[in-house]
Amino acid sequence: MSSPVAVAEPTAPAPAPASRTRRLRVPRPGYLAGKLLSAVISFAVTLIIGFALFNLMPSDPVRTMTRGRPVSEAQLAQLRVQLGLDQPVWRRFLTYVNDTLHGNLGYSWEFKQSVGSLILERVGPTLLLMGTAFAVSVLLGLWLGMRSGWRAGSLFDKVTSATALTLWSVPTFWLGMLLLVLFSVGIGPIHGFLPTAGMSDPTLPQSGLRHYEDVARHLVLPALTMVLVVYAQYVTIMRSSIIEEKGAPYLLTARAKGLRDDVVRRRHALPNALLPSVTMIFLHLGGLISGAVTVEAIFSWPGLGDLTYQALTVPDLPVLQGTFVVFSASVIIMNLLADLVYRFLDPRVRAQ
Amino acid sequence: MTAEPTATASTATAPDLPGMPPAAVPPRFTGARRFVRAFVHRPAGLAGLGILLLFVVLALIAPAFIGPDQLDVTKVNGPLLHAPDGSYLLGTDQAGRSVLLMLVWGARQSLEIGVIATVLTVVIGSAIGIVAGHYGGIVGRALMHVTDWFIALPSLPLAISLAAVLGQGSESITIAIAVTSWTATARLVRAQTLAVEARPFVERARALGAGNRQIMLRQVLPNVMPLILVSSTLTVASALLSEATLTFLGLGSPTQVTWGEMLHDAFFNGAFTADAWWYLLPPGIAVLAVVLGFTLTGRAVEHVLDPRTEDTR
Amino acid sequence: MVLRDRRRLRTKLTAAGVSGLLIAGPVALATAAGAQAAPAGSGSTLRVAMDSSGVDTLNPFLSYYNGSFDIFGAIYPSLTEIDENGVAKPYLASSWKLSADRLTWTFTIRSGLKWSDGTPITASDAAWTLNLIMHNKIAATANGALVSNFSSVTAPDATTLVVRTKKPQSNLTYVSIPISGIPIVPQHVWQSHVADLKDYKNDSYPIVGYGPWKLTDYKTDQYAKLDANPTFFQGAPKYDHLIEQIYKESDAAVAALKAGQLDYIGGVNATQFASLQHAQGVTTAQAAGNGWTAVEVNPGARSRSGKPIGTGNKALTDGRVRRAINEAIDKKTLLAKVADGQGQVAEGYIPPAWQQWSWKPSAGQEQNYDPAAANKLLDEAGYKKGPGGIRIDPKTHKPLSFRLGIHSDSSTDPAIATYLVGWLKEIGIKLTIQPMSMTALNSDLGKGDWDMLMDSWTSGPDPSSLLSIQTCGTLPDDNGEGGNTDAFFCDPRYDKLFAEQSTVFDPAQRAKVVGQMQSILYDADVDDLLYNSTTRIAASSKVTGLVTGQARNGFYPAQTTFWSYLKAAPAVRSGSSSGGGHTLVWVIVTALLMVLAGGGGYAAGLRRGGVDDRE
Repeated sequence: MSSPVAVAEPTAPAPAPASRTRRLRVPRPGYLAGKLLSAVISFAVTLIIGFALFNLMPSDPVRTMTRGRPVSEAQLAQLRVQLGLDQPVWRRFLTYVNDTLHGNLGYSWEFKQSVGSLILERVGPTLLLMGTAFAVSVLLGLWLGMRSGWRAGSLFDKVTSATALTLWSVPTFWLGMLLLVLFSVGIGPIHGFLPTAGMSDPTLPQSGLRHYEDVARHLVLPALTMVLVVYAQYVTIMRSSIIEEKGAPYLLTARAKGLRDDVVRRRHALPNALLPSVTMIFLHLGGLISGAVTVEAIFSWPGLGDLTYQALTVPDLPVLQGTFVVFSASVIIMNLLADLVYRFLDPRVRAQ
Repeated sequence: MTAEPTATASTATAPDLPGMPPAAVPPRFTGARRFVRAFVHRPAGLAGLGILLLFVVLALIAPAFIGPDQLDVTKVNGPLLHAPDGSYLLGTDQAGRSVLLMLVWGARQSLEIGVIATVLTVVIGSAIGIVAGHYGGIVGRALMHVTDWFIALPSLPLAISLAAVLGQGSESITIAIAVTSWTATARLVRAQTLAVEARPFVERARALGAGNRQIMLRQVLPNVMPLILVSSTLTVASALLSEATLTFLGLGSPTQVTWGEMLHDAFFNGAFTADAWWYLLPPGIAVLAVVLGFTLTGRAVEHVLDPRTEDTR
Repeated sequence: MVLRDRRRLRTKLTAAGVSGLLIAGPVALATAAGAQAAPAGSGSTLRVAMDSSGVDTLNPFLSYYNGSFDIFGAIYPSLTEIDENGVAKPYLASSWKLSADRLTWTFTIRSGLKWSDGTPITASDAAWTLNLIMHNKIAATANGALVSNFSSVTAPDATTLVVRTKKPQSNLTYVSIPISGIPIVPQHVWQSHVADLKDYKNDSYPIVGYGPWKLTDYKTDQYAKLDANPTFFQGAPKYDHLIEQIYKESDAAVAALKAGQLDYIGGVNATQFASLQHAQGVTTAQAAGNGWTAVEVNPGARSRSGKPIGTGNKALTDGRVRRAINEAIDKKTLLAKVADGQGQVAEGYIPPAWQQWSWKPSAGQEQNYDPAAANKLLDEAGYKKGPGGIRIDPKTHKPLSFRLGIHSDSSTDPAIATYLVGWLKEIGIKLTIQPMSMTALNSDLGKGDWDMLMDSWTSGPDPSSLLSIQTCGTLPDDNGEGGNTDAFFCDPRYDKLFAEQSTVFDPAQRAKVVGQMQSILYDADVDDLLYNSTTRIAASSKVTGLVTGQARNGFYPAQTTFWSYLKAAPAVRSGSSSGGGHTLVWVIVTALLMVLAGGGGYAAGLRRGGVDDRE
């Protein structure tokens, strides 16, 4: 739920009026080092918060996992030892920190395999879904935003903005369900032509061109759902940037030089207008890996979002803690990159 | 990409152009009458406001014609999951309750959750934003670091485990929404605070001996208010979407009637299979309408306050 | 100007072309893939929905989930199998003898059977498997409880297995059965993995085993693919391939069934069942319920040593209050309204799927829905009605106000809970509903921090495990740790009978003892059983044999997937499946069009407004 808008800020805020508050000017070893340090601290803090929260949850994983099975006293005791539940919380925290620092993300209680391998299994489908949806949203959104911003006030602009706005207001899972009914169940006499669930058809070969076609077919609806709801953000941000740029003097010069309208737009306005979008893209990339839980649930897409959600029901603490590490790291790294890339791209900021 | 577009308070606003020092002077708060006149000229905003008024009125007068009996599964005797007809304009649910009445009652509950969550979000976010923007230095940077930490937290696991710790129901959903959304407001308000504080009248007040608290409350806050207002309307929009999503995922109290709960019931009890479109569509359309209403209103308010953000040639 | 228009036109055409491709693309892919949707390889395929719990691991020593058990039942043999009357029949063991002192069982292992890699199956495989579970703590994770009474297991020769128990055990032939019992694994494959058993995923396909099927592929969270074993001793399955697919959304599975992409769903909910009864190309059936739904009442949670634990309301320790609560619940209405009439009101503790244990209360023992009697009982017991009509506990002077914990992910709990609130109000008891996740509820349960909880259990054909959760031995220790009690029920008479029934070998006699236990539970009113809902099955009309046995009162015997998948056979080709959902679809199309039109109208409105602004 990060903000797409409040993006990277330059290190020095608005020039402070001289000699107001006494600011402690600590000599910094370097911009990059400072940023890295704060990223590491962020990471550490989020890990602590995550661990605390998951361990605070009222839960009984042993009972929940074994419910419905005949289990003896000895078995239960053994399970508790195996899961480390007989140890005090502080000791579990230290083990967790130690393991994480060594790259060991823990061992899933539910799936009886290492969290790392579990994440590796599921990350592919999530990245496929989110990546495709993301790429299409960005391209579609930026393109639409650019065209509608350039011709602000035109019918094209109005329709684009209205549609984008309306689609953004729709609950994602509801839209997913509607699309499922429309395209999987069928429209009147025409049968639905897209699959109802899953990532691939098990009766088809699992490799080769037919497999890719099959996965692509399964990908259409979930990706479409995500795109429809997300692209609006890019339309808006691009549109506003282009409108800002349109009034800039240098464009007037370009036009005066006799350049065609779309050349002016493409070669001069667009690159500058892209800057805010770039930062937004990086920020969204950070959140990509956590997947969209409801979409994955509705379309039975075997991804990370759904894994997290399933793990929360046990609760499978190692999986939760492990995925937390991965998600937080992803966001933090992308935020860091966004800062750096922006600083690199925007000459105005670089000059500071 | 955010996991569902939850709690992105300022999606539809023109971004405070990232990277740009907030040097451009924000518009002064125009007089109320001028504001209203300018607002009225924007049909989109009016439409949005109209939708909102309709739902708010419905929510407020609901208790007048919906008694507890009509929503109590033990007391109703309508046909189970029946299509709309003369006596039930939107059909009935699995327990025989009228979907129309549940929709109206849901307006009440959903709006309540959305508004309270927004108030919490805005209060926390603004407080932190103003303090961070005003103090600067170590305090300011520390607060911004805290904000960054919260931004890095994966929101959905956070919300679900919060709900588990606090106990399921609308209270924990409200808190979960607030905890995961305040960062957007905080950053926005901080940037605005910095801009406001750069203006001469603040420096004058300081020269005259105004203390920190006075500056924050008397100078900064009123000038940041318009932005907070705009941000709030958009925050309600995303809070409503978040509520629908979190309840759909099962974090709500199944005994309460909210739009999200209706959708949850519809999906998990097989309404989809039973072609019960009267149970699936209305709550979703209602959420869509109200979110759209808030967004349109918010954008119109924003355009009035800052005509730069509007379409210009 | 002309140049600009032409360019714009070209751009427009390009845009149109691109969007055309974007739409045509998926359609082309869809039709292409659809045309090639015939199953890979030759032969017929049975497509089923996996149990909703899914698969946690394919290592039978570690697994807890039903999805995994279904697979183990299909690919690994067991000593015995259960027929439709719930009686153990030969499988790997062709016969067995019990010694005079009832402590030694001698099984004759069928000869001539081979594992899928050609190695002969011998008694030593069975002995090795059982011994591993008995002596290796990791291997005991899943099924240690089932062998806790074994003292030794040996295989004196290739076709003889000797099991010695510590005490006589009447249900020994239920210990190793398909799906809910211990599967026998090939020693030569598993021997080398004992050291790292905890990490062994058993994921090299095809898995070496013996059963009606062979697992050839498994994709986590997606599907399991199995091939028929043509040499299965009871006859090869009629389908060549079996595919179990995971559907996270049960509606999606039902949609797939209606669309002809799926052949069998083992359990659908009431609404889906009602709708599927009218669907074309789908047959539905109900199997006798093998579980019950109940609301349990805290009779005074205490530890094994007798120390009271938890925050349960003391008023509930009074048996009369519990009796009144039970008599205030109208179970017939619950069955009709919440379960759609699909099932029966519950009386005996053992579910009706297993007829041999059925029990009914005697004439004077019955507790019927009688709020007047409940009120009278409470009045006479001294619980006077206070303000608001809520009774006051004379000992603590506090109102009878209880918490009712419900599962937040259950579709029936909230409905039942609302009814309970209403009914208990009529007898002067206030209920507060607390929805919580299953794990939070289990946590509160274990610590005794509850007054009333929704509860549900299922049972296999042997009642021992269902009966065991009500014994004193499952109570936790003084810290609230350990223990696996269901409702903190503890009655020494019950425990004595429990020990007795496990040593009674005559089925009729054992049923009598179990009946006495059910009677004790009935009178205690700690678990107020509400109803046994049926298992609702939906299958494609193109398949027969998925539902087996004789229907009694309209309910088939409980179906295990072991038999269903083995006996399933393609039916004579019937008509095509229905499209389904026409009205729904048209309404959705209209809704979307309205949304877009609304957007367009807004745009048009903006246009006018825009003109004004731009003056």
